[in-house]
Amino acid sequence: MAEIVGALGVPHTPFFPSLVEREGPQCETARLFASVTKELEAMRPDLIVMYDTDHLNTFFLDNLPVFAVGVTDAFKGPNDEPRSVPVYTIKSRPDVAAHLRRVCIEAGFDLALTQEFTVDHSVVVPLHFMTPAMNIPVIPIFVSGHIPPLPPARRCYELGVAVKRAIESFPDKLRIVVIGSGSFSLEVFGPRIAPGKSDGVPDPEWARRVCALIGQGWTQTLINEATQEQMLRAGNVGGELLDWIAMLGAVGDHRPRFVTPQMEQGHAYAAWHWT
Amino acid sequence: MSVYAVNYLCREVLRDHAFRAAMKADPAAALAKCDLTDEERQALLAGDVAKLYRLGVNAFLMGYLPRFEVCGLTMPIYNERIRSAADVEGGH
Repeated sequence: MAEIVGALGVPHTPFFPSLVEREGPQCETARLFASVTKELEAMRPDLIVMYDTDHLNTFFLDNLPVFAVGVTDAFKGPNDEPRSVPVYTIKSRPDVAAHLRRVCIEAGFDLALTQEFTVDHSVVVPLHFMTPAMNIPVIPIFVSGHIPPLPPARRCYELGVAVKRAIESFPDKLRIVVIGSGSFSLEVFGPRIAPGKSDGVPDPEWARRVCALIGQGWTQTLINEATQEQMLRAGNVGGELLDWIAMLGAVGDHRPRFVTPQMEQGHAYAAWHWT
Repeated sequence: MSVYAVNYLCREVLRDHAFRAAMKADPAAALAKCDLTDEERQALLAGDVAKLYRLGVNAFLMGYLPRFEVCGLTMPIYNERIRSAADVEGGH
């Protein structure tokens, strides 16, 4: 049977690849990504399931699913031209993805289907740092965390639990790592960006609170406090926390090996590894 | 639904390199074929991103305008203008 062997939480800031190219492997961002890469490699995954919030690049306002799963042999990205990132072809596992979708729909989670799609920096930037050879297949599960109304945090967590159960009912022996991609407090190109920058951190207190709750394993408290109002107050991409919360659905009671904040950016890097 | 047309053309600045070039060369001509209200067209041509934000245009789609320097927008100009809409309720 397939099993989830661990989980990671990461940011996906689009200018990080060019920053690391400029500043080198000893800069803070490079070292933080190296810390999660080391955990990922130790877990020896056969497959990654990544919760992601697309920035209207995979989907658009003509057709915007609240939850969707990519079911395909491979997909390409990024489709939004972040600097210093090549366009990769990323393998996937359509058999596993179709199984996840079927089992989740049976459990009451209406996962939309997408079979021909590209992804933006939110999927590719973390992979660019962690698996640049793109030798591990990835199944993306898209969560609508940017365009209100956002799905409730509890619904996202329960989706994460349903996906975990679906994985555990897949007959092949597979080691799977679940990743949540996103920020806790960040405004991108909106009115609350910092002077002279294209982004800003409107609610650093909330980002600190999220890190503390994740670090202590107080997931239910996090879910209760992660209201739509709070997430949007934390910035126009504050709903990316939902990707972490869905990922926490696979974590259960396991405690993280680390949760390292990068507070001036309003996000963190975290790892769970329990087998 | 015209705000949709603004959102759509902002993304076309990213996706469609010919449209991006046309927007850099002659924005009024490039926008002539777009189904916009007069208010939206004037705001776009003036680079008035605060006005567009108030009309409900998505912020990270508008970010493609200064990124590719169309409608007279650069990042410093965009930054100053969009921050003047900080009184607008967030969420789009």
